[in-house]
Amino acid sequence: MSSDQDHLKETDTEARFEFKKEEKSAFQTEKGLTEETIRVISEDKDEPEWMLERRLRALEQFQQMPMPEGWPGAPDLSEVDIEQIVPYIRPDIETRGGAESWEDLPDEIKDTFDKLGIPEAEKNALSGVGAQYESEIVYQNMQERWEEKGVIFCDMDKAVQEHEDIVREHFMTKCVPPSDNKFAALHGAVWSGGSFVYIPEDTTVEMPVQAYFRMNSEGMGQFEHTLIIAEENSEVHYIEGCSAPKYSAFNLHSGGVEVFVGENAHVQYSTVQNWSKNTYNLNTKRAIVEADGTMEWVSGSMGSKATMLYPATILKGPGATDNHITIAFAGEGQDIDTGAKVYHNAPNTKSTIESKSISKDGGRTNYRGLVHISDGAENSSTSVECDALMFDNKSTSDTMPYMEIQENKVDVAHEATVGKIGDEDVFYLQSRGLDDDDAKQMIVAGFIEPITEELPIEYAVELNRLIELEMEGSLG
Amino acid sequence: MSTQVHANLTESQVEQISEDLGEPDWLLETRKEALAALEDLDMPDVIRTPGRTWTNLDALDYETLVDPLDYAQEKDRIDAEGVDVLSWSEALAEHGDRIEEHFGSVVDPQRDYLTALSTALFSAGTVVYVPEGVDAEDVKIRTTMNSKSLFNYTLVIAEESSSVTILERQTTGDEVEGARYYSGVVEAVAGENAYVQYGTLQNLSEESYNYQVKRGHAGTYATVDWIEGNIGSRLTKSNVETRLLGDSSESQIVGAFFGHNDQHFDIASRVWHEAEHTVADLVTRGVLDDQARSVYEGVQDVGREAWDTSSYQRENTLMLSEESEADASPKLIINNHDTEASHSATVGQVDEEDMFYMTSRGVNPERAKNMLVEGFFVPVLEEVAVDELRDDLDDLIVERLTA
Repeated sequence: MSSDQDHLKETDTEARFEFKKEEKSAFQTEKGLTEETIRVISEDKDEPEWMLERRLRALEQFQQMPMPEGWPGAPDLSEVDIEQIVPYIRPDIETRGGAESWEDLPDEIKDTFDKLGIPEAEKNALSGVGAQYESEIVYQNMQERWEEKGVIFCDMDKAVQEHEDIVREHFMTKCVPPSDNKFAALHGAVWSGGSFVYIPEDTTVEMPVQAYFRMNSEGMGQFEHTLIIAEENSEVHYIEGCSAPKYSAFNLHSGGVEVFVGENAHVQYSTVQNWSKNTYNLNTKRAIVEADGTMEWVSGSMGSKATMLYPATILKGPGATDNHITIAFAGEGQDIDTGAKVYHNAPNTKSTIESKSISKDGGRTNYRGLVHISDGAENSSTSVECDALMFDNKSTSDTMPYMEIQENKVDVAHEATVGKIGDEDVFYLQSRGLDDDDAKQMIVAGFIEPITEELPIEYAVELNRLIELEMEGSLG
Repeated sequence: MSTQVHANLTESQVEQISEDLGEPDWLLETRKEALAALEDLDMPDVIRTPGRTWTNLDALDYETLVDPLDYAQEKDRIDAEGVDVLSWSEALAEHGDRIEEHFGSVVDPQRDYLTALSTALFSAGTVVYVPEGVDAEDVKIRTTMNSKSLFNYTLVIAEESSSVTILERQTTGDEVEGARYYSGVVEAVAGENAYVQYGTLQNLSEESYNYQVKRGHAGTYATVDWIEGNIGSRLTKSNVETRLLGDSSESQIVGAFFGHNDQHFDIASRVWHEAEHTVADLVTRGVLDDQARSVYEGVQDVGREAWDTSSYQRENTLMLSEESEADASPKLIINNHDTEASHSATVGQVDEEDMFYMTSRGVNPERAKNMLVEGFFVPVLEEVAVDELRDDLDDLIVERLTA
């Protein structure tokens, strides 16, 4: 690759990921968190009474609950100041229910999305885009044949209005109750925006369903809620991508994801996140899988100051399957604490966890995971593999798995390795004409391939570019 | 603060114990400080996962378990040529300065509530002193607890280029009404190029609560190897640890346990790589029958300055019964990239194909299972360099299988 191309690639990637726009906010709550704030949010959204009640109950729980504690090596959250969070911002757009098509979006928002490569995704004939600029879906496009099939893909606020019964039944009740942890409770109180996906029985959505989230306002939090319900024998792949510009002020992202996988249904949830380096990324994501269903989590965690994310799956029905593929990259000043939780609560359930992490320039990655096999979940099997790559002795790479096995007819295996990039591998590539940086980038690209091959091409490209960006100039 | 403070524990009791052993003032002071610290100390760390505490040490009523002034034991010590294997009173008279230098330097006397309790109350134990260049093969210690509680303290000092193999057996003797408490602390200091191998075979009665801390410091080119077999006790909380402080130092920690009835084994192996070119290997195998439960933690900690580290860990548990539980948490903490580290853990049952193979050749199922369980321990037994310990452990395993 010539240096001109290098330069072009660099500026292009820089431009795509590190930019910031003047945003115009139609509505913004006062900083801080009070019952009044919650009432204002709920009223502005014109929510039914039950949702307001749930928000207020969650707020109460949030105020009573302690910060996560007693976790060995947990990221430092002492700087998380809830009072400095602006819980709700709505972009100034004409249509409250979202734009009909790309052209209807304000130029400013289109411009933001252009830099994120969304039009490319659109041109690639992806079948649905709900894009969240700040806290609300402003743009969606869904193919007609989906609607005919009864597939619903809309923003969460709209779902509360239009699909009230099903949302009321599933929203933060059985899957992620606010009592789960302090930040789930916070999320339950101030959630705004996000996606609602409903796939009826016997329906396959061939194209990935996509949503993009960004933050573009100083001192603002993002609390989007994603609810995916896949009925019996259905199939869907949902993708969420995030990329945030750098800020100087403090940010908190605390999303919630709930997935219901019906009997023999198959859901894949993929996300590549790249929060700015001052964001605290504290999410709660969980799936409940019925008999013979399959859940797949694919997550790339980049950026942020600290991330705590452990997508959880409850294998509730016999024969249910869960697969996790995660990658984490931590550079200077970053603490990426991620992993997976799996509960085997029925016989013949199966789970696999594949975790890759890269730490560099003083960054820390940690795999923290739990596999629980309940008494009676016989013939269950689980396999966990964690591999970590380290660049220097300033960085840290930890692995902290937990296994609770209460059933003897099981097959449980956990393996982890940590190492540096092999000098021999670098030498091999250099002897074939690559320079040191390119050799290392190639090795890293190969290392994370299990993740990238699970993603649609433009996501894989984005992930590789993000990692290239992180590695550029500071290698060797 | 959940820790209980002994209401029935007084300074005068501690003075009494100290006087019985004819101790110097500094040791009495260390005991008193540990006693005073009990108020502020927590129980040893245990693993917690959402909604569960893996071992609940707060639930034990230490006041009824511990009788500070009643310590009856039998001690057999077999020494080897050139090595001093002494009781505390003998050792203090002979090696007072050395003991003062090393006592509490490896195991912090106030590490946690149970360790401080042991520091304040220990009345039994052994000091092993290996002078420079001495090669000692077979030091044997047998401790038999005859009282309700016993606090045993062992200090091993191996001077430069010396080597020693110590084999310790822990059992209960006289029947005592109700629950009992055994506490064993072992400190091992391996000087430059020294080699210390310390094996323990714990077969206390199943009414006994057992707390153990074994910790070694390995100097330059030194090796500290630990072997621990756990067969007895109602509950065991054990920590086996090595700090690799000198360049090119090494440690191997080998563990084996076989739990049945409602036994609970909480076992931790930990190693800290703090110098260059250090090597560690942690190997544990355990079998669980009936309602027994095992909790395993393995920690490989590689420090910032630990260049060229090699660190390996493997833990395998075999579950023979529906009611048993196996919990495991192997941890890697790596702060230097010039490291080759790996760990693995497995949980499973006796392999059906192996069973089929054997039964199809006329071996009855019960015997086939026993042979396979015995075979499961072979990789661990192979790591045990002391013949006598290996044979004893194997005997106890067979005894339990055929009970």
